[in-house]
Amino acid sequence: MSKDISKILKQIDDDIHTLTSSELKQKYLSKKGIVTELFQNIKNIPNEERKEYGIKINGLKKLVEENIELRKNDTQTSDLDEKNIDPSAPFDINTKTGKRPHILDLKGSKHPLMKELEVILDIFQRMGFDVMESKQLDDDFHMFESLNFPKGHPARDMYDTFWTEDGFVLPAHTSTMQNRALRRYGPPPIRVVLPGRCFRNEATDASHEHTFYQIEGIYVDKGISLAHMQATIKEYLEKYLETELEIKVQPSYFPFTEPDTEFVISCPFCKKKGCSTCGFSGWIELMGCGMIHPNVLTAGGIDPNKYSGFAWGVGLDRLTLIKRGITDIRKLRDGDLNFLKQL
Amino acid sequence: MKLPISSIKEYTNLDIPLEEILHIIATKIGEVEGYLSWEEMYKGIYIAEIINKEDHPDAEKLAIYKITLGKKDEIQVVAGDKTLEIGDKVAYIQPGNIVPSTYKTSEEFVIKAVKMRGILSNGMLCSERELNIGPDHTKVLKLDKGLTVGETFAKEYNLNDTVIEIENKALTNRGDLFGIIGLAREISAAKSKPFTSPEWYKGEGVGVSKESDKYSLEISNQSQALCPRYIGIVLDNVKVSQSPVWLKSILLKSGIRPINSIVDITNYLSILVGQPLHAFDYDKVVKRDPKRSDKAHITIRLAKDGETIQTLDDNLVTLDSNTLVIADSTNPIAIAGIIGGKDTEIDENTQRVILECANFDRFNVRKTSMSLGIFTDAATRFTKAQNPNQCLPVILYASQLINEISKGEIASKIVDIYPEYIEQRKISLSIKKLNAHLGTKLTKEEVLTILKNIEYKDIEEDSTDEYITVLVPSFRMDINIAEDVHEDIGRIYGYENIKPVLPKRELTAGKKNKVLSIKSEIRNILSNSGANEIDTYSFVSMDLIKKSEQDPNLAYSIKNALSPELSLMRTSLITSMLSKAQENIQRNIPTFCMYEFNLAHQKGNMDNFELPKEQWNMSLLFTTKEDILEGNPYYQVKRYMEKIFSTLNILNIEYLLVNTTSQENLPVWIKNILPTFNPKSTAYITHKGEIIGVIGEFSKTVKENFKLPNFTAGVEIDIEYLSKVERENKVVYESSKYPSINQDVTLQLPRRVEYKQIERIILDTINTRDRYATVECLDIYSKEDEKRNITVRIEIEHLEKTLSTKEFNKIVKKILVKTSKLE
Repeated sequence: MSKDISKILKQIDDDIHTLTSSELKQKYLSKKGIVTELFQNIKNIPNEERKEYGIKINGLKKLVEENIELRKNDTQTSDLDEKNIDPSAPFDINTKTGKRPHILDLKGSKHPLMKELEVILDIFQRMGFDVMESKQLDDDFHMFESLNFPKGHPARDMYDTFWTEDGFVLPAHTSTMQNRALRRYGPPPIRVVLPGRCFRNEATDASHEHTFYQIEGIYVDKGISLAHMQATIKEYLEKYLETELEIKVQPSYFPFTEPDTEFVISCPFCKKKGCSTCGFSGWIELMGCGMIHPNVLTAGGIDPNKYSGFAWGVGLDRLTLIKRGITDIRKLRDGDLNFLKQL
Repeated sequence: MKLPISSIKEYTNLDIPLEEILHIIATKIGEVEGYLSWEEMYKGIYIAEIINKEDHPDAEKLAIYKITLGKKDEIQVVAGDKTLEIGDKVAYIQPGNIVPSTYKTSEEFVIKAVKMRGILSNGMLCSERELNIGPDHTKVLKLDKGLTVGETFAKEYNLNDTVIEIENKALTNRGDLFGIIGLAREISAAKSKPFTSPEWYKGEGVGVSKESDKYSLEISNQSQALCPRYIGIVLDNVKVSQSPVWLKSILLKSGIRPINSIVDITNYLSILVGQPLHAFDYDKVVKRDPKRSDKAHITIRLAKDGETIQTLDDNLVTLDSNTLVIADSTNPIAIAGIIGGKDTEIDENTQRVILECANFDRFNVRKTSMSLGIFTDAATRFTKAQNPNQCLPVILYASQLINEISKGEIASKIVDIYPEYIEQRKISLSIKKLNAHLGTKLTKEEVLTILKNIEYKDIEEDSTDEYITVLVPSFRMDINIAEDVHEDIGRIYGYENIKPVLPKRELTAGKKNKVLSIKSEIRNILSNSGANEIDTYSFVSMDLIKKSEQDPNLAYSIKNALSPELSLMRTSLITSMLSKAQENIQRNIPTFCMYEFNLAHQKGNMDNFELPKEQWNMSLLFTTKEDILEGNPYYQVKRYMEKIFSTLNILNIEYLLVNTTSQENLPVWIKNILPTFNPKSTAYITHKGEIIGVIGEFSKTVKENFKLPNFTAGVEIDIEYLSKVERENKVVYESSKYPSINQDVTLQLPRRVEYKQIERIILDTINTRDRYATVECLDIYSKEDEKRNITVRIEIEHLEKTLSTKEFNKIVKKILVKTSKLE
């Protein structure tokens, strides 16, 4: 035992010269710290050795504590030594000409998702849509209730939603903005896209992320039909992918649309021949869409007897991965500059 | 939901090729997850008979069997089950074929003729697990003695079929599509053929409906809201047995394990129409009731907190007061709509059965299933909403099947508690509105045909061409409003038949989103200045906030976080910047500038709607471990910010040192990030007196915590404020045709005099209607602590002439007088 203690003593001696005060505290005095564990071990020491052991480990504790204090003062005094800078000056006192602040000749970059988003929003703005960005913390009303999901509705299961302890919800889809958009841009005509970050409580791997980007769109006016929905989404996708597409609309289920559909396009990469992007099916399922449910319009202050509309929600991440040849979705939010600089 | 195609044929009387069925389902019902050919799966498996049995000479646990396929042939097979006897019938896989339980998995296993401990085995005798029809893999499955030797297993078991798997998502609200009949109905309509439900399912149903007084069954429903309908019947003289092959077969194809004839019949009804049933052993219910009497008591009630039940799958489940249970006079015997109790289960000795067919509240079933973590087929079906009106026909048909298969007879009254009968809904449709909604040109006749094909009834209340009124079939719990009917019409008519048309609209332009625009402008500036944009998680760890020296109590904590690293919502962007900077330094990138636009949240910082306030911020961090820059890193980050402000023509930006500025009335988000920075080399960025950001060197501790180079500084700034700032967009000075003149001036001043004061004096002194100065700082030098020498180059442009040196000197003198007064 005493051998162990002298080993630890030596280690402390090393550490007090290299570790910061908080690291020292963490390593030795935290709940699972080395010294703390020595104290917990006291019950395993034979009675006759206990007193001596106690003295030794108390000594260790004191040594660490003293050094933490010392290191703290260290930081403080060094900060104290410094003089206030002149924040209005263009550079610091006595800086050599060549080493003054300047814009360095490095490779800059925009984030691939943001680049993609700018392209898409530009298309929609040209088509006459307004843009309103989505929220990252919202309430049950906007995420579910205003979208015709009553409390306890099984469809809520489809959205593996994160909640805060205070009962706020992290939107699992940008539809969380529909009610606000209807109220803000109403009365119709309403044409607005609602981009934003969404969250799903699911395990991450190369093709799944708990954080992703979605773009919601809504279009409300007199006499708007499912045929209009098909053509509008097709128009946007063709402009975006810069190719002509075949489209399919398939049944799906969302509480906030009626009819509820899934938008499927012919694979723009293989022209329906089948490739790895489309899973060799020739088709890519891109987004959920549908005619806005009358209850959702009513909740947004729009008379469903006078107006109708459609809505869609499309993910941005997958499109970005495909377009940029990225194989791991996690790289998008990893902040790895070696990766991001290439894009 | 699994759908065998033989069932489609049975219920639609249509012979539709597989490809077409798949297309119909995908375009009109819901996504097809896949399909499996059971014919293929059971290829090469035959019914064989044991004709000889010997012990294996070298292996105690193996037996050598001779089997025949009925053609005087004799095949030798070695098996690990020694319990088979001559005359037993078994399923035999010929060499070269795949074990069904491994079919289409990543570990497909092909049977070969191999020697087992020296004795050749020509194939394999299958256990029920290997046949994919049950859990037992310890022994060879003994088959019915009545089967034909030499025939294929698939044929004898009616498994020459293909099973389509439909994704449940599109069926979320469609309890009826969780039944084969429901799917057949829509497939038939898709082929423009009217569908008629089987007689037994229609109306009040038919079947063995002779009630009797032999046994009495007392049912009391104490929870009407959660159990809108409950029907119970006692059946007597039941002979529990194995189910006939056809029944086993349809269950297997639907993914349900056959158990015994009674349980199988209840399960069969649920796969036909979606309605789950339950069967209790009558005698067990009576005997285990603590208040013993000679009749069965059934109570539907909420459980008491802490009550327990042993479920059919042998788990002891503790219930709470939100759980609806079926109980005897005292104790729970089933969790309503989810799973039955072990104590009252049907076994081979059961003689009397209480058959239950009930309707339970879908939301409560879901809640209970989730909170108990019990996910059963019944729970799934109830969650999709079942029709209470179908309970009676279903229980009568089940009784009839029990009578046919297991001899049971109805021996009690049909106790039916259904106080609030649900009337079929009437919905009126405007054909014009329907066509406007879908973008179609359907006629009244076409619409009615589609609806009648899926068993809507036309009530000819309106005789105009414009309106129709239909009676919604009661199994369609999802149809409440006209738009719901529109969807049915759209689906069955086919979305693919609707021609896309762009909407006509007024030629108005979209409004500009100022925040998005300025983000885009800044993104352009920074990416052209060698900075890299990053996008990081909103989630951070407690540790990260602490390492940034910020207050973790300000962070919203995630109730169902994926991990401790992702358990808090970040309170500032700069925390993420710091941790990503550390990672990039570890990647050995020596110098970089990176930035992010995003939202952060601070507890207590609410917006007008009592939601956490969200404000678009930008954070930027510069660091270098190379010896390329000198002085405080603050100035390098300031250089980037100045680049942004000057490019955007944002004027009136000032920097106020944190250490010498009052901290009163700071915005929450600013106060939150201050501890991250060193107050002596950090400034508030202000615009016309408004604090809009913090820029500076990180504190020593923070740099140490993140193991960052000494030359590291950062900024966090309110982008929404900047987006609203009015920018200078007019020419201030005409440029002169006369050359400008310049002079370098060195001023010695007390250290506390800020550069901006000097700059202001120079500009104020020179700038007039026809004179314009530019000031460039050439050097800042300090030998002693309290003085600074600042050298500036002053350049003056005059609209009418080139200034003489004399005139210039006069001006400089004026400036010197003014600056000398600076203390």
